[in-house]
Amino acid sequence: MIPKATVSLFSPNIFLNASKLSAHGALSPQTRRNLRVSHCLAAKVPPPKKPREKVEIPGLEMVTYGDRMHYVPGLAKPVYPPWEMSFKDPRYYRSPPAQEMALYKDKPCYVFNQRTSILEGVRQAAWLTKTHVNPGLLPHLISLAAKPENQLPDQDERVQNAIKHARFWDTTEPRPRKEKYSNALLLNLLHLCASLQPTHPAVGRRILAENYSLAATWKRGEDLFQIRGQNGLLHCSMDPLPQICGEQEVLETSDRVLESFYPVSPTIDLQQVSVYKEEMNYTGFRGEYPYPHAHTLYFLETSDPNCQLRPEQFRAKMIMFTFGNALARAHKLYGVRPHSLLECPITVQAVGTNGRIFQFLVFQLNTTDLSGDDGIKNQAWLDEDVELYDFAKVRPFIKRKEVKVPAGLAGYKPETFGKFLALYLHGAV
Amino acid sequence: MALSCLTRALRSLTLSKPALLSSQAPVAQLKLGTLVSSTISQCRGFLTTASLKQNRTYWKQRDKYTTRPMGMKKTGGRDHTGRIRTRGIGGGHKQKYRWVDFQRLRYEPNKEGQPFEEKVVEVRYDPCRSADIALIAGGNRKRWIIATEKMQAGDIIKTSGVIGRMAVSANEGDAYPLGALPVGTLVNNLEVQPGKGSQYIRAAGTSGVLLRKVNGTAIVQLPSKQQVQVLETCIVTVGRVSNIDHNKRIIGKAGRNRWLGIRPSSGLWKRKGGWAGRKIKPLPPMKSFINLPLISTI
Repeated sequence: MIPKATVSLFSPNIFLNASKLSAHGALSPQTRRNLRVSHCLAAKVPPPKKPREKVEIPGLEMVTYGDRMHYVPGLAKPVYPPWEMSFKDPRYYRSPPAQEMALYKDKPCYVFNQRTSILEGVRQAAWLTKTHVNPGLLPHLISLAAKPENQLPDQDERVQNAIKHARFWDTTEPRPRKEKYSNALLLNLLHLCASLQPTHPAVGRRILAENYSLAATWKRGEDLFQIRGQNGLLHCSMDPLPQICGEQEVLETSDRVLESFYPVSPTIDLQQVSVYKEEMNYTGFRGEYPYPHAHTLYFLETSDPNCQLRPEQFRAKMIMFTFGNALARAHKLYGVRPHSLLECPITVQAVGTNGRIFQFLVFQLNTTDLSGDDGIKNQAWLDEDVELYDFAKVRPFIKRKEVKVPAGLAGYKPETFGKFLALYLHGAV
Repeated sequence: MALSCLTRALRSLTLSKPALLSSQAPVAQLKLGTLVSSTISQCRGFLTTASLKQNRTYWKQRDKYTTRPMGMKKTGGRDHTGRIRTRGIGGGHKQKYRWVDFQRLRYEPNKEGQPFEEKVVEVRYDPCRSADIALIAGGNRKRWIIATEKMQAGDIIKTSGVIGRMAVSANEGDAYPLGALPVGTLVNNLEVQPGKGSQYIRAAGTSGVLLRKVNGTAIVQLPSKQQVQVLETCIVTVGRVSNIDHNKRIIGKAGRNRWLGIRPSSGLWKRKGGWAGRKIKPLPPMKSFINLPLISTI
């Protein structure tokens, strides 16, 4: 059970010099050149026929035509040992089956990657990470953006210009595509927030990072779980985020019970692998990286048609990766041994968007002792489905000769950018 | 292999006697008699056209179960020779096939033998059949099954292979062996051999009735009023199949039938024979799917 890219059983590409080569450089067994037919070669290949079973009778010596060097009817076909190259050539390397790999283990590990869409959504993510999810952000965080010294000059107008740029002006086609405008909107908003650097010097001690690979391992009950993958844009800083919630509330979480969803098992939809490295913890950066603390993660919806995540699954992905970042940092600081209460809880934030609707998440890692269901739990504050604006129509929506929604930006909500700015400035104020 | 066929055929052609005029025949025969060697190889004719197997059902060949809908190739009523075998099928909207798991009592790899519960995630329309299908999730896996009448998202349904001494009061949607159910329950998705998967009573709104249980076997009445005797370890689901108003729908226009893939019948008037018209006849005898042991004639 090796985690593999999806190589379909019926490979349509049969040309020898086509690019459908496997990762090891050799031709996969499905790409066979079929010289017998004159039909279109892009159809599905028939599955390979199994040859007739040969019966081995022990003690019976088979007389073969191997010595005579040519076929003789009536004599058996000689069987030679399979030829192997004496040296290692990366172009013709066949990987061994999973059981013979060096890292094979009997106990499977459940892996969550960036394409996983778990059935139960936020509840399952909360169970896997032993988290108590609170609806809504904390008020003292939101009030950060209400202070006039933390606001941008002409904030509303500049944000509306940013939205209009992303949704209307950033293309030569009539309308920009969703992946393009959501990405442009996020970068515009980040640029606006970063313009506060003259007044808030701590903002300059941060950097954005993209396409970094995360790995974190933890045990839950008897099962081993791992988070792997490249999740999105990371805002990392030189200073850690302050603790959100006090000691008292942290100890109170030990009274709360995690939601169970019998009969569905919490490991549903996770990828099961038998070949894995134990104790795999990697924050994404090697050695003494100057910005080691993960501040905020920014998630965008992917354009891959195979993994379209619904809003619930998208929030679950946010929770899992935020937890993964916090856990990797905790393992680096405090070691791999589980601690039931960290002296300094690690806080990581996350923002997810699809171009119009935002999801805000603040995660606080209180404990790395995740094997049991009782004890101190981690905390998360999740603000779901916050709209930045109602409509951004290129052409007006007209029904029965009445303009229901005019063209342009409509229904702008300034509080959403306030929350975005609050999460950005958290730790820098 | 094609090349070897070709060379064998051409070799056989060169060795056979060419067609000659009758006057030169005896002379040529004498001449050629020495040249013709005794090894005239027999050659089977070979095809020069494309593969004659028109309907390649390779889209169906898949070992691993998946809930993802698969693209389907329509046959149009044609069989492997390419000719129409069933009239009136063709065209229609494109459909994706959702692999329904008809073997309800399928244990997960490490949990053999225990009754288990599953949760209904969603109930949806299936273009490939008249009934609705339900996505159920239990343990570590998800699968599609035929939905029963009142199944809704969020229900918990039970599957058990245990036959107790007392009959179980079954809820709709649960699956039990026939021996565990009380006589008179409405059942669907009947399997006639234990473990084979259900083959009967799967259409929309249908249900069978468990008539009686006779030492180790059970007799079920199918929707066509025929009675069937099967082993009591065969698994059935309790209740009626979903989409019960399917037979009350009105097609309304010829186009809707074409969307369903039903081609029109020939409009010509044809004289009907003895097969046509209403027939009133007694029920066929009960069909038994039990292989009784052979009585030796000694």
